[in-house]
Amino acid sequence: MSGATAPQRWASRSRWPPGLGLAALTAVAGLGLGSLGALLWQARGVHPAALWQEPWLAAVLRFTLWQATLSTLLAVGLAVPVALALARRPRFPGRGLLLRAMELSLVLPTLIGLFGLVAVHGRRGWAAPLWEGLVGSESGYLYGLSGIVLAHVFYNLPLAARLMLQALETAPAAHWRLASQLGLTRATIWRTLEWPCLAPLLPRLAALIFTLCFTSFAIVMTLGGGPRSSTLEVALYQALKFDHDLALAALLALTQLTICLSLWLLALSRGGAPSLVVGSVSLPTGGRWRRRDALGVSRVTDAFWLTALAALLLPPLAAVVLAGLAGLPELPRQASLWAAAARSLIMALGAAAGALTLSLSLLTGSRWLKARRHGAAALLMEGGGQLILVIPALVLGTGLFLLLRPTLGSGWQGYGLVVLVNAFMALPFAMQVVRGALPGLSAPEERLADQFGIRGRVRLRWLVWPRLRRPLALALAYAMTLSLGDFSVIALFGSPSAPTLPMLLYQQLGGYRWQGAAATALLLLALVVLVFVLLGLWTRRPPRYPWNRFAREERHARVP
Amino acid sequence: MSSKVHAAGASLAALLAAGSLQADETLTVYTYDSFVSEWGPGPGIEAAFEARCGDCDLEFVALPGGVDILQRLRLEGEGTRADLVLGLDMNLMAEARALDLMAPHGADLAPLDLPIDWSDETFLPYDWGHFAFVYDTEQLETPPGSFAELLEAPEEVKVILQGPRTSVTGQGLMLWIKKVYGDRAPEVWARLNERVLAVTNGWSQAYFSLFMNGEAPMVLSYATSPAYHMAVEETDRYQAAEFEEGHYLQVETAAMLRTTEQPELARDFLAFILTPDFQRHIPLGNVMNPAIDLGDERPQVFDRLIEPESLTFTPEEVRAHRREWIREWLNASVR
Repeated sequence: MSGATAPQRWASRSRWPPGLGLAALTAVAGLGLGSLGALLWQARGVHPAALWQEPWLAAVLRFTLWQATLSTLLAVGLAVPVALALARRPRFPGRGLLLRAMELSLVLPTLIGLFGLVAVHGRRGWAAPLWEGLVGSESGYLYGLSGIVLAHVFYNLPLAARLMLQALETAPAAHWRLASQLGLTRATIWRTLEWPCLAPLLPRLAALIFTLCFTSFAIVMTLGGGPRSSTLEVALYQALKFDHDLALAALLALTQLTICLSLWLLALSRGGAPSLVVGSVSLPTGGRWRRRDALGVSRVTDAFWLTALAALLLPPLAAVVLAGLAGLPELPRQASLWAAAARSLIMALGAAAGALTLSLSLLTGSRWLKARRHGAAALLMEGGGQLILVIPALVLGTGLFLLLRPTLGSGWQGYGLVVLVNAFMALPFAMQVVRGALPGLSAPEERLADQFGIRGRVRLRWLVWPRLRRPLALALAYAMTLSLGDFSVIALFGSPSAPTLPMLLYQQLGGYRWQGAAATALLLLALVVLVFVLLGLWTRRPPRYPWNRFAREERHARVP
Repeated sequence: MSSKVHAAGASLAALLAAGSLQADETLTVYTYDSFVSEWGPGPGIEAAFEARCGDCDLEFVALPGGVDILQRLRLEGEGTRADLVLGLDMNLMAEARALDLMAPHGADLAPLDLPIDWSDETFLPYDWGHFAFVYDTEQLETPPGSFAELLEAPEEVKVILQGPRTSVTGQGLMLWIKKVYGDRAPEVWARLNERVLAVTNGWSQAYFSLFMNGEAPMVLSYATSPAYHMAVEETDRYQAAEFEEGHYLQVETAAMLRTTEQPELARDFLAFILTPDFQRHIPLGNVMNPAIDLGDERPQVFDRLIEPESLTFTPEEVRAHRREWIREWLNASVR
């Protein structure tokens, strides 16, 4: 068995991974670059020079880079102690609630999230008396750079901490047992266990969050109080919608693409090294073993970080829920609400399935290439998945429209297109979640499996699937809820009087129906929670290994 | 088994595409989404028109806003599915006309009741309103009575605006200031920025997320907004401030496509627009002023709204200068 150390044996044997990966890459690149190309093709003349002479553009670019850097540093930096504290404390009252809240904040439609933030941190918010008592001046921190950064941290820190927690939980149980038996201190555990788990994750995570802050939070940016703090997307909106200046739109999109893609390449080349810790069947770790570092001073610091997380996340969500409860009496009067919810769920399921298929294809393809030392190609394949994130939804939609124009007819096709684009937009998130779990078996497990002749589908079913199951469910949940709350894509294609839930929300707001809108927002939140809870429950039961039938002690005996 | 699958598929399709069933004569109307929502004017108008025409089906296609309707027409060109568009305002008219896709409406303009004269043969008004600053009487007892007073107002009088690049109301304010101040507009923008709490992308966000949360005493909206609060929520708390310089006027119009396969039916619909059966859904459904005199049918709260002087540019002026004026605003605001 030569090359038995390659950790991706199950994949490296067969021929389908590169083919699948290539197909997915072609689809992603074709959609992204195709829509951009369509704009350029339809544009009459491109004059880059004229654009760069505008003073406002330089101001906007400078500000956007600055706020995105600051937001990323804070969100990722603060997520580390939060994730460590969560991993160190596997059971405390309210942990489940906190995890649910973390999942919520990312997928919350920005308009609803902003409502919650304003209700808590605004000039008349819940926190205003507190601020006035402490500082003495009127609370105005929600407006300006501080507000933008606060909102970005609110949206992105939970995502970062959630993914870090998952990475920490994939550390082999044997390591934790060893750490416990040796009575390792906090510093040693950090050096030998925690940091090696987190380090490979950080560059990609930072790149993802930077991209999110740089591009898609136009609603949050309005807290900045003027056009200086707007994003390139607003200029793009004007160019496309009001001026129909396709060339300018393409140029702005290219600017954004260049900045974000160079960052991604940097991140991927840094984070490309395989994790030092090769995953083992992930038992819920940490908690099984008494951790010496969970005692003493870390009791206080962990309590601090977890309280801070709760204080950041819970009040704005509570504000949304409270407003929604006040609107509940309106619910029975809304005929279209339930149909809209059903429609949204079906579309979200389709989009999530698509996102998952694409990300698995790209990741296995990229692993296959990496195993054959085609590093650059592997990088390209994995980086390709992020492409959609840096192409503005507006460009994607308009480009697709130009490409498919003769065939785009009824609303039915419009919905299909929305599902498709949503699948591509959820892809970067799904990849982040699945990627950490995809490394196959550890070398000793590989050898063992080979010796016993466990190959092909059997190996996939019994050795690979069990450890992929939970991350897949989490990825599915993220992808589903992201498209559940999406408004930007569906708004592009319009609909024949049959709205999805976020569209209904905007219609209600446009028609002064605050109460109804608040109730719709609450229903949306409830659906998001439901998706996460159901998928979590579904994958909670332990994998059905034959050895699970035996006593627990015997199970430990199998660790080499 | 397979028939079961088919049935499931069919009901799925029906659920997703609800409302797009084809009748004998379908009239497709592109409009904005708050118009077609179940509480908007759309459903009532659809029922009234279908009762009138007998065997026809009025199908609304909802897009996010007037600009999106224009954008959709540009992209689709002569291949558009639309027979009619409803929701292009005066400031988009010249752009839409330049596409050379519209046909004359042929309607009798006599019933029109607008604050300005109207003789356009392509675009038919269906409602109108003035842009205005709506204020919260609990935070502000005496609102500014003019732009000059707003610029001089004390520090705590903050306003919430919408950006002219993304919203119709924001663009309205830009034209309003340009009309009142002409070449002095950049200086006024710079001074107004000191009053601004936030510039949002859209009206919903400004009104719902910020203003209704009490974040600022004033928000850029319509002079008709208080009518909704007074009639439906039964509160006098929110009122519009009347500025002595006059208010910029928005007139929303409908037009038919020259590519329509049902010109007769399309013209019938346009003629129907200036009848009470259409117009009675406008005041509280769209929260705008009706385009004809509704007499007693107009809700009484509309008598209590401000009635300012109307300011306008011609659609051609707006088309010729909009980009330049937006640049002027941008560069004055990032300084």
